[in-house]
Amino acid sequence: MNELANFRTGRLPYYLLITGVLFLLAGSYAGLFVAPPEQYMGQVQRIMYVHVPTAWNWMLGVIFALVSAIVFLINGNYKWDARLEGALEVSTLFAFLLCCQGSIWAKPTWGVWWDWDPRLTSVAVLLFAFLGIVALRNFVDDPARRAVWSAVATIIASVDLPIVYYSVKWWNSLHQQQSSPATVSNQYYFPLRVNAFGMLFLLSAFIMLRSRVASMRLRDELAGPETI
Amino acid sequence: MLTALHKELLLQWRSRAQFLAVLVFGAAALLLFSFAIGPDAQALRTFSAGFLWLGLLLSSTLTLAESFHAEMENQALEGLLLLPANPRAIYYGKAIANWLQLALIGVSLVPVMVVLYDAGTTRIASLIGVILLGTAGLSAPGTLYGAMTAQIRSRQTLLPLLLFPLIVPALLASVKATSLVILGDPMGQSRSWILLLAAFDAIYWSLCGMMFGRVVDE
Amino acid sequence: MSGTIVGGWSYVIAAYTLTAVVLFSYGVSLFARLRKGSR
Repeated sequence: MNELANFRTGRLPYYLLITGVLFLLAGSYAGLFVAPPEQYMGQVQRIMYVHVPTAWNWMLGVIFALVSAIVFLINGNYKWDARLEGALEVSTLFAFLLCCQGSIWAKPTWGVWWDWDPRLTSVAVLLFAFLGIVALRNFVDDPARRAVWSAVATIIASVDLPIVYYSVKWWNSLHQQQSSPATVSNQYYFPLRVNAFGMLFLLSAFIMLRSRVASMRLRDELAGPETI
Repeated sequence: MLTALHKELLLQWRSRAQFLAVLVFGAAALLLFSFAIGPDAQALRTFSAGFLWLGLLLSSTLTLAESFHAEMENQALEGLLLLPANPRAIYYGKAIANWLQLALIGVSLVPVMVVLYDAGTTRIASLIGVILLGTAGLSAPGTLYGAMTAQIRSRQTLLPLLLFPLIVPALLASVKATSLVILGDPMGQSRSWILLLAAFDAIYWSLCGMMFGRVVDE
Repeated sequence: MSGTIVGGWSYVIAAYTLTAVVLFSYGVSLFARLRKGSR
């Protein structure tokens, strides 16, 4: 199908990758060695310089997945299905990363590996939801059905995210003694911002490249023995 | 839509042996939970609401998968859609039928819960109300995903995989509300949980109804 | 929290390393898939 024909060209993702890695190296260096330890949390605070950017970019990934799903359902252009596939996988990756980082942060801070923080718990729920959608995509062979179903499932899961967040927040507030992981509380925003952009470049590059992989497969599937 | 509902209920009545099987499954689950926890009466009573809803959730995977079985057997799904009936009507017919069946299982499991976990309560009406709201939350997305997964292979694993993360808010709210009914609600918290459940139901009954047409479209 | 968390460098290193490894591996897997697809 012609709509996928010009999907695979362009070196932009590669430039984004390189820029992203450079930014991350700079931001992480600053976060690890330049920024001073925080008043109460000591060195552990440094995890925030990588955790918060991951969180922001995960959110962006989910939003892009939702947008791709909606646009595909409206105009049926498989470019958007390819993008959805990319966004789903990369968002799942970032969600997984978030849960691990959050867990590593929680152990020295609260003494447990998981403290049911509403934000992190919502991420975990959406991680499973997206994993389910990725599994769904793997089990459906017909590209048209796969596209429509995963778009529908993505919309439903995304709509659920705020509901999950509030329900966990209320559920946890009955027991919660401590507040959620603090955002960066000192004036050293440099590592945070640089890492945020670095991750953004990586996120975009990953989604672009993964969408390319998807479009290549879609072209083969759609160019079957059908007449256009 | 009423004809769709009527047909669904008729189907369910005809397969009431299946219903009994699911009920026994649910009761067995509740029994297993008590073995997993041990004979600690206090703990069992405290968590009885959680066990009830977990048992109900597990049973729902059987019920929901079953609800499209009849259509899939005879390619009847395409036949249904060829009728001049709105797919939305079909959806709501099925969803309501599933809801009623799940609610019935829930209510039937209450005596099991009372016996196994010493979790009796006099506020029967509230309990039934929570069960109705909670099972409605399970049925709406469950019917949609049931329709999807019925049409592909590996449906048994995929349905819970897709459904469970989604209904977390409904599960949380149902368990909390039920727990408050059984154990007492000194601070009047149940209202917010009921509202959450109602909101969840409203959102998903409309959203899934809208999407159903696309999901069974050929 | 009234006290200060002493040490904790190991957790910090763990978090950064994990992030780097995961992102890098994913990038590599993408390249592998792209290469395979364009053959």
